[in-house]
Amino acid sequence: MITPEISWIAIFPELLLALGAAGVLLVEVQWKPDKSVLGTIAAGSVVFAAAFTVLQWVDASDAVEAGAVGDLVAFSGMVLMDGMAIFGRFVILAVTGFGIMAGWRYIESLGRRSAEAIALVLLASAGFSIMVASNNLVMMFLGLEVGSIALYVLAGMSRERVRSDEAAIKYFLLGSFASAVFIYGVALLYAGTGQFEVLAIRQFLSDTLLLSPAVALIGTALVIVGLGFKVSAAPFHSWAPDVYQGAPSGLVGYMAAIAKIAGFVAIARILLTGLSEFELNWLPIVAGIAALSMLLGSMVALVQGDVRRMLAYSGVAHAGFIMTGVVGASTSGILFYLAVYALQLVGAFAVVSAVSGPANAGSEIDDYRGLSTRSPMLALSFAVILLGMAGLPLTSGFIAKFGVFASAWSTGYEWLVIVAVLASVIAFAFYLRIIVVMFMTDDEGDDLPVPGTLRWVLGVAVVTTIVWGVLPGSLLRAATDALPL
Amino acid sequence: MVDPGWYMGLAAVLFTIGSLGLLVRRNALVMFMCIELMLNAVNLTLISAGRALGDINGQVAVFFILVVAAAEVVVGLAIIVSIFRLRSTASVDELSELRG
Repeated sequence: MITPEISWIAIFPELLLALGAAGVLLVEVQWKPDKSVLGTIAAGSVVFAAAFTVLQWVDASDAVEAGAVGDLVAFSGMVLMDGMAIFGRFVILAVTGFGIMAGWRYIESLGRRSAEAIALVLLASAGFSIMVASNNLVMMFLGLEVGSIALYVLAGMSRERVRSDEAAIKYFLLGSFASAVFIYGVALLYAGTGQFEVLAIRQFLSDTLLLSPAVALIGTALVIVGLGFKVSAAPFHSWAPDVYQGAPSGLVGYMAAIAKIAGFVAIARILLTGLSEFELNWLPIVAGIAALSMLLGSMVALVQGDVRRMLAYSGVAHAGFIMTGVVGASTSGILFYLAVYALQLVGAFAVVSAVSGPANAGSEIDDYRGLSTRSPMLALSFAVILLGMAGLPLTSGFIAKFGVFASAWSTGYEWLVIVAVLASVIAFAFYLRIIVVMFMTDDEGDDLPVPGTLRWVLGVAVVTTIVWGVLPGSLLRAATDALPL
Repeated sequence: MVDPGWYMGLAAVLFTIGSLGLLVRRNALVMFMCIELMLNAVNLTLISAGRALGDINGQVAVFFILVVAAAEVVVGLAIIVSIFRLRSTASVDELSELRG
């Protein structure tokens, strides 16, 4: 009998997150403590998981240097500890920590239900974190579902029930549809290659010449569609604006960022590692999705009257930009972009939740009139974050965009880069529109206080946007080292 | 023995019915049933592929998908019930509060 090889080290961060979630729920049931105790438990599990991830990173680099890449495969090939998994996991943990801080006012306002919200956030992170580390496609699906199901519930948790329920059902129906499409793609890949594991599929495809690759190719297309939904790439983006608008504003940034990180790491792993032999088949599809997302996202965002819908469509455009990195086969470009964009997204929605109230749905652009006098700090940090998203030089967004565009250019997709630059220019228009409204219109409404936890989130978003824009070396080096197996 | 290819063809038909149903039906419950149909088509594909390849992995994967489907039922029905209580309708056409 073969005993399965267990390596708890490989999944220790996820275990910590799950334990944190269970701990929060149990402590709430048993002692009904102050909210800050629950927050401390959650923060503890996230911080320890992040610290452990750093140890994993050191371990993995040592193993790669020693040439013992076999050590990076755990649980008989289910889970990987390669650079890409650890980098993705670390970004997910960072987003989780800042997401809880950004949504803290909303979580507190839930009363007795706040423990559930914290537990759901931790469980979603555990799921997506296992997803970025999985080698086996069924494992990846399980991680995706653990994360997604938690997010469906979070989307419907706001007290403004009518809009929140609507966001939840739309997210749920389209999200489960996407999951079903993804797993059908996995099933067809299995039928075509006989393998579930990404590395085994790569091995199989490079060793064997498939006489009729039709089944595996359809599977590839379905996997792209399924994950395209999850990262809200056009034409699969229709759920994103409604969910961003209806879900509780304190947590939208977290929800959007974490799904994008996990989705894109999964896309990179499946397409660039597992199915690189099919490159000629999927490159045109991915390039088409990228071009459509960038153009549609930037243009539709121009006409939105609600800041959250605008950020949702800008998210569609950003999904297109990251897809250019997939076309350019540059995992470092994708990871750098994800890290930069995820923090900006959490920061941007932290501003939205400060302006429109933590649980409130809807945030008309008129609510931002004269924000520069009502709350100079909010307005200034929102402006920096928006300029970073737009990709102004000397912000991290510029370096991120430059990286993915350069990689796509070097693989011969010049037209895609031209479309991308065009879309970035269009995107400037709507980012500037918000900034103009904030700084150049008259003061309307009262002064806005900024809660303490939000200040930290905004500070981190602003500082990273500027520091990685001027001195991107450290993050670039980490992203370049974060290679998939 | 019937060739596993036929079962995979049947699964493809079921999956298509499910996805078309999701697109054309307007009742949230029926749309939800269509998703279940799609997941079961996936299960049928995995079982017949596993049988055709003589590999146990495909059949084991089915258990995981069943569990995921059950978890989706729990959350999905809760959301649908919550909506029904608020508006006494489960038609997705009535859900048009969010637009822009």
